[in-house]
Amino acid sequence: MRLPPQALYLRSRGLPGALAALLGTAAAAAWAAWWLVSLPDFDHTARLPVVVLGPLLAAGVIGTSLHTPSDELDRTAVRAWWPRRLVHVLAPTALAVALLALALPGHAEEFGAPAAVRNTLGLMGVAAGATTLLGARLSWLPPTFYAGVVYLAAPAGAEGGAVWWAWVTRPGPEGEAWAVAAVAFAAGAALYAWRGSRRTTGEA
Amino acid sequence: MNQPATVAVTGLTVRHRRTVALDALDLSLSPGIHGLLGPNGAGKTSLIRVLATVAAPASGRVELLGGDVGSHGERTAIRRRLGYLPQEFGCYPAFTVREFVAYVAWLKEVPADRAAAAVERAVERVGLADRIDARMKTLSGGMVRRAGIAQAIVNEPELLLLDEPTAGLDPEQRVDFRALLRELGTEATVVVSTHLVEDVAAACTDVALIESGVLAFRGTTAELAALGGESGDPGDSTTNAIERGYTAALRAHRDRLAARPAGQRAKESLR
Repeated sequence: MRLPPQALYLRSRGLPGALAALLGTAAAAAWAAWWLVSLPDFDHTARLPVVVLGPLLAAGVIGTSLHTPSDELDRTAVRAWWPRRLVHVLAPTALAVALLALALPGHAEEFGAPAAVRNTLGLMGVAAGATTLLGARLSWLPPTFYAGVVYLAAPAGAEGGAVWWAWVTRPGPEGEAWAVAAVAFAAGAALYAWRGSRRTTGEA
Repeated sequence: MNQPATVAVTGLTVRHRRTVALDALDLSLSPGIHGLLGPNGAGKTSLIRVLATVAAPASGRVELLGGDVGSHGERTAIRRRLGYLPQEFGCYPAFTVREFVAYVAWLKEVPADRAAAAVERAVERVGLADRIDARMKTLSGGMVRRAGIAQAIVNEPELLLLDEPTAGLDPEQRVDFRALLRELGTEATVVVSTHLVEDVAAACTDVALIESGVLAFRGTTAELAALGGESGDPGDSTTNAIERGYTAALRAHRDRLAARPAGQRAKESLR
């Protein structure tokens, strides 16, 4: 009971559950990556689904944890919210990045740790932006939709600007894909820190 | 009105998309208990939310406790001294009453060494001391409302804004609540938005009546009761007199609007 009051903030956002979900996601990603590669006809390039799905799940977990149950009261807080919001995006994202990078060892030139890190950042940026535009509870929807469409539609090669628009499915070292993901993360995190979640209840 | 104003609002306009919720409202309040009355949709909640600094006005000047809400630094100082009970306040359902009130004490930056005692005192004042470690999701509606009042008073605010505080309280709890209100009103400025006239009759020193975003009546509770005139019924209660006064004040206000020049009426009808 004598925890610091910041612990109340963490609990009110369901962050203990989110932390457990991130650990579970990373463990599942590590297992799935190992299992796919162990199949007889597959090599390390078969890890693409893990490189997309793992970060997507992590972004969904972090995005939905941005939900506040007491929005109206939070607005009366003495201190400005943006530093706390920024930390709330950056700290779990850093953790997710570290966990997913560990989950995909080796083959950095294809679908390894760099691609997982890039996708975690990029999809988290999309989820953070969606939190501001749609509300935290639906924030998983746009990154899921985007990743789903790109996964189905992306060409194997780089034709038609795929290095830009299909960045989630690109191999790790491509600069263009990294640039798009970095911009998405910076823009999404900044937008969320600035505006917060969209109000979804108590509209007066 | 011999005390200095703790709330001074001039030309306050609030818009929700294209509708005007408050239209160039002027209002000043000093310590005491002020009833904020008005029909549903009159703009009571809009006014309370602006006073609570959770909503920004489209235009106008709002000064609270001697500070200007428009200035970032002064708004920070105001928020420390402000208590607010929203009509619907969410809370994390797994919090206990103690944790919920402590969370708000943290938001209000009640010093850490005093916070635990302040939380217990606030919960005790609303009569929830025996349920302080019960989870919020296990409480009845009236208890949740009282927990809400507890979070509003945890920082011993100088300006306390209560939006429909008696909704969900049973008659006995309402009586207790009004006693608490009178106690708080001796030092703080308390604004109670309500549509229960008996709350006003029992606890408020004066009344502001809002209709369609403008001030329709401002005066003491006795003045509002007097507007209603004599009923001739010897068994008539204060509540009835205030109800008649409320209706008379609203009608008089509407008549004044109807008598306005046509140009101004056209502007009104645009809403």
